[in-house]
Amino acid sequence: MTVKYEKAKAIEKEHIIMDGVDVSGHWNRMFEQRTIFEYTPELIEKIADIPDAESFANCYQCAKCVAVCPVDVVGNYGPRKLYRYAQTGLDLTEASELWLCTTCANCLRVCPKEVNMVKIMPAAREQAILDGKFVPAELQQAFENTAKSGNPLGQPQRKRDAWIKESGVEVPIMKDLGRKVNVLWYVGSYPSYHPRGIDAASAAARIFTALGIDFAVLGKEEKDDADSQRLAGEKGLFEMMAEHNIETFNKYEWDELVVTGPHELNAFKNVYPKYGFERPVVHYTTFLARHLDQLKPLLKHPVNKKITYHDPCYLGRHNGEYEAPRQLLEAIPGVELVEMARNRQNGYCCGGGGGGMWMDSFTAKHTTMRLSEKRAMEAASTGADVLAVACPFEVSRFEDAVKSTGNEHVGVLDILELLDKSMRGE
Amino acid sequence: MSSNKVLVIGGGPAGLEAARSAAELGGEVILLEKRERLGGTPDRESYAKLTHHWRDASEAMAELATAATNNPNVEVKYQTEVKGMSGRAGNFTVDIEAGGAAESLNVGSIIIATGFQHFDPGRATQYYNYYTFPDVITLTDLEKMLKEHNVVRPSNGEAPKKIAFIQCVGSRDRQIGNEYCSKVCCGIASKQAIELRQQLPDSKVMIFYIDMRMYGYWENEIYWPAQEKYKVNYIKGVISEVLPKGNQLLIRGEDTTMSRPMEVTMDMVVLSVGMEPSAGTRAIAQTLGIQQNKYGFIEAGGDGGLDPVATSVPGVFVAGAAAGPADLDDSISRAGLAAARAVASVRKVMA
Repeated sequence: MTVKYEKAKAIEKEHIIMDGVDVSGHWNRMFEQRTIFEYTPELIEKIADIPDAESFANCYQCAKCVAVCPVDVVGNYGPRKLYRYAQTGLDLTEASELWLCTTCANCLRVCPKEVNMVKIMPAAREQAILDGKFVPAELQQAFENTAKSGNPLGQPQRKRDAWIKESGVEVPIMKDLGRKVNVLWYVGSYPSYHPRGIDAASAAARIFTALGIDFAVLGKEEKDDADSQRLAGEKGLFEMMAEHNIETFNKYEWDELVVTGPHELNAFKNVYPKYGFERPVVHYTTFLARHLDQLKPLLKHPVNKKITYHDPCYLGRHNGEYEAPRQLLEAIPGVELVEMARNRQNGYCCGGGGGGMWMDSFTAKHTTMRLSEKRAMEAASTGADVLAVACPFEVSRFEDAVKSTGNEHVGVLDILELLDKSMRGE
Repeated sequence: MSSNKVLVIGGGPAGLEAARSAAELGGEVILLEKRERLGGTPDRESYAKLTHHWRDASEAMAELATAATNNPNVEVKYQTEVKGMSGRAGNFTVDIEAGGAAESLNVGSIIIATGFQHFDPGRATQYYNYYTFPDVITLTDLEKMLKEHNVVRPSNGEAPKKIAFIQCVGSRDRQIGNEYCSKVCCGIASKQAIELRQQLPDSKVMIFYIDMRMYGYWENEIYWPAQEKYKVNYIKGVISEVLPKGNQLLIRGEDTTMSRPMEVTMDMVVLSVGMEPSAGTRAIAQTLGIQQNKYGFIEAGGDGGLDPVATSVPGVFVAGAAAGPADLDDSISRAGLAAARAVASVRKVMA
């Protein structure tokens, strides 16, 4: 009879010199402890004692979360596992695992015990930051950029409205307009600064203009919503930004706030109300779907493409909007809409949420591929020519991902860009 | 000569409820109890809190006893044992010995409510060392300590800081012969774990299990609060060795969700012992000539399996844990049905 022994995992430093002696590679090999010598309920309590993180203690190990965790699909992760790691000696506040969750909420969707990582993660991360524990450097940089420049990209505030001239239409700025508007359009940081974001912002400006919407933007007065910074643990920074934005919003008269990004939607609709801001907020897809009758006659040029749509976590699962983006795509003549296997409520996360947008290098060390790459491959497998998105984080993420996975033939376009193409022809 | 009397054997929760219900239905009841007092196993084994509304066990048992004894149609005979039976439904002659004196009773129907006993952990095939290490105790032992608010390690009288419950001791085990689930131990262990955390807030309490088999509402009433509010830790993977280590206990097993061996020291180990038929249940089955199942409990269910109080002898019914593992809800519910059937049986014969 043969007995199969499971080997312990080797821990090996690639390059290490000790006392002048090179002991790289197998010379320093250690083996991971296999036997559990202690259980640590106190480390579960440590997390569950943090306000908002109470539900961490609820896990009864059914593991429904693991199969739908986008990080587990490309690595080894999931709320159930975090609970067990804590029970067997891991202090989550000082572990790399603390920074891998994208707060996509797919685990919460299936969790029978309502273990809520969307609340646990920001609370535990805030604790880690307050205690001076490890924070990924690139995330730290995004925090500093936001604090210093008003946006995570670190771009100057005075250039926040520089994109307007590229749109080719007139975009009124509230400060100059001096009157009430129907729509206050919050452009967002990536659409204001990122080259591919600017493409979407310009398209939006042209669409709003063509529809005859009475709109204006905040221009140089607009600052980042900071919701992702909050989810990444920087509540203080979030509150500072919220205070500024709420003050700016309240300075002007407008009926409805339209946002380009789902994270901004989440911030203004679900979080800012806790800070006294309670006004109507919609994502641009919802807004434009409402104007579909006026929009359709403008979509004159066919876009003969097979298109698959990626549900942004913060538009879909977090805010329940699944249909408006699809209605807009289907309104474009020539478009054939195909679905990826994971869609709507079970949409696969691009990896950008919860601060993931600024931790790609860090996350890459703990996963076999990026979440955006996994999703790009799913998009390609539908045979689609275009991966359509509705979140400003996504265009750059997926453009990198289609390239790195050898799927350059799949174009990545914001729904705004596709509508604009159909409106103007190419 | 046919009799309209209902004989209830056993003064625990099931017997008390059967007696009260039968009397309220108009039956004339004789209740036999082997001990000098009523209340059954919860009373004899000093149960602290019941899973039902966290009620004090003595108070709840006293309430059941009073409800039976206050009924003028219930006659209680203490320190009584059944010695023999003859006759048939409607006309049984039951020989008893009450306080040393032999007596013969003529009754129309009989309800057996002789209950269960806790599994003797010395019989476990695993190496738990119950009779060797003082700090290895059972649910029953811990229940007494909880009742007295004096949970200490028997070895040194100090409060334990780390306590492990080991589930399924004597249950779900083909080798031991008890293949059934004892139904209540997951709930009782969780209940005791909550009480431990209330009485010893600095203690770490862990429950090692194969499956947590909660019982309907016990899921949300006991298991969830134990975990969520009292931070009791549940670890899948049962222990199969308890060894000495210094003045502590070393428990060994496999943590199955981690696929890793575990060797953890504990101050106290609580064996979640299951249910077996009581000596009284085994004896009464022999005396009355009632069929037992392969585990020694009274065979119940009738031909179609839908008559949970019917035994192999017409006119003889079973209530409570004499028919198999049951919690108070089950025991009392079955007692009410047994009472209804016993009274109906007498009326049919009398009519």
